[in-house]
Amino acid sequence: MKTELTLKTDRLVLRLLQRSDLDAVLGYYALPEVQRYLDWKARDRFEAKAAFEAMRKQTRLTRPGDIITFAIVRRVDDTLMGHVSLRWTDATAAQGEIRFAMSPTYRRQGYGTEAVRAMLDFGFTQHRLHRIFAVTAGGNMPSIGLLQNLGMRLEAHYREHALFMGEWDEEMHFAMLEQEWRRGVMPYRAVRNKVA
Amino acid sequence: MTQVPLPLTVQFVPAYPLLTARLCLRPFTRADVDAVYSYRSRDDVALYLLDETMNHEQCAEAVRMRTSQFAFTSEGDKIFVAVERREDGRLIGELALIWRSVADQQAEIGFIFHPDAHGKGYATEGATALLDFAFATAGMHRVYARCDARNGASAAVMERLGMRREAHLREHTQVKGRWDEELVYAILDREWAERRSR
Repeated sequence: MKTELTLKTDRLVLRLLQRSDLDAVLGYYALPEVQRYLDWKARDRFEAKAAFEAMRKQTRLTRPGDIITFAIVRRVDDTLMGHVSLRWTDATAAQGEIRFAMSPTYRRQGYGTEAVRAMLDFGFTQHRLHRIFAVTAGGNMPSIGLLQNLGMRLEAHYREHALFMGEWDEEMHFAMLEQEWRRGVMPYRAVRNKVA
Repeated sequence: MTQVPLPLTVQFVPAYPLLTARLCLRPFTRADVDAVYSYRSRDDVALYLLDETMNHEQCAEAVRMRTSQFAFTSEGDKIFVAVERREDGRLIGELALIWRSVADQQAEIGFIFHPDAHGKGYATEGATALLDFAFATAGMHRVYARCDARNGASAAVMERLGMRREAHLREHTQVKGRWDEELVYAILDREWAERRSR
């Protein structure tokens, strides 16, 4: 997959990150409310720039472990609002993991849902994955709602499975199988404490 | 039972033998090979395990390794205990406790029993003693257990132990050439303490 990839939706273009995106990404990446749920910790502009440079090199899924990261860009005014990644975690079982971050400025308008839906389609249709999962912190309600709206099932709810910055962590795993994606799943409303 | 000298670095060791009403839990000895072979060689036992069925030689090697796996010294260590029925001294199965994380105080528990000994509450009884060790002696914060989603008997044991179903993973990996479906159960130290004080 060497060609420059772009995914288009009604309102968005998902494209690879470019050097000129640095300021736009730094504008949200180091914000505490975004940082709180990111794996790559960036406490300042310098660390955020390192994270950006790493993401900019995530351009194709050639072998397991590879990540592809797209900028989430609004078509009407070319605004970069966040990013979404797909990591190819397992070749034998064709598994992938989606991660995403949205600038708080552009939340609650369905852009994140639209971007993650496009990424699910990319993973299942173009990359022929069998299962795609996403992991969120137990308290990350915007992400939990987004994943449930897309019809992803709550597969795991791990409580106090690890210490995270001095506190017991709670983690939720959502997943979707290729056959569920093809079937066209309905928004899945889990009982919060019940694993499907 | 021969007393094996402990390495100096040992941190947590169960007070062997662990006795329950009907069971005796003790480290494996080389004399246990035939008993282990009697269940690990069976298709109906291997069906829900990650391991395939084992021949006598593989059982001998597994038992040989287990004779030194009876205490926790560092992360990743496994405690394997042979489960003997006190009534007749027969080895009816095994329990395992794995130290998954030192920093996060996490462990995993597992059990395999001879089908002859299923359905009598032995797994629940033995696991209770090992969970007491995990929480009270080894200071774990959370202990989890995994099983094949088709293995209803194993899931029922976990539920009887008071463990909560935390995960139901579907087709998340391939095991023995087919899609795997897995359940994860867990219990926290305070939940176990509350249960044991009842």
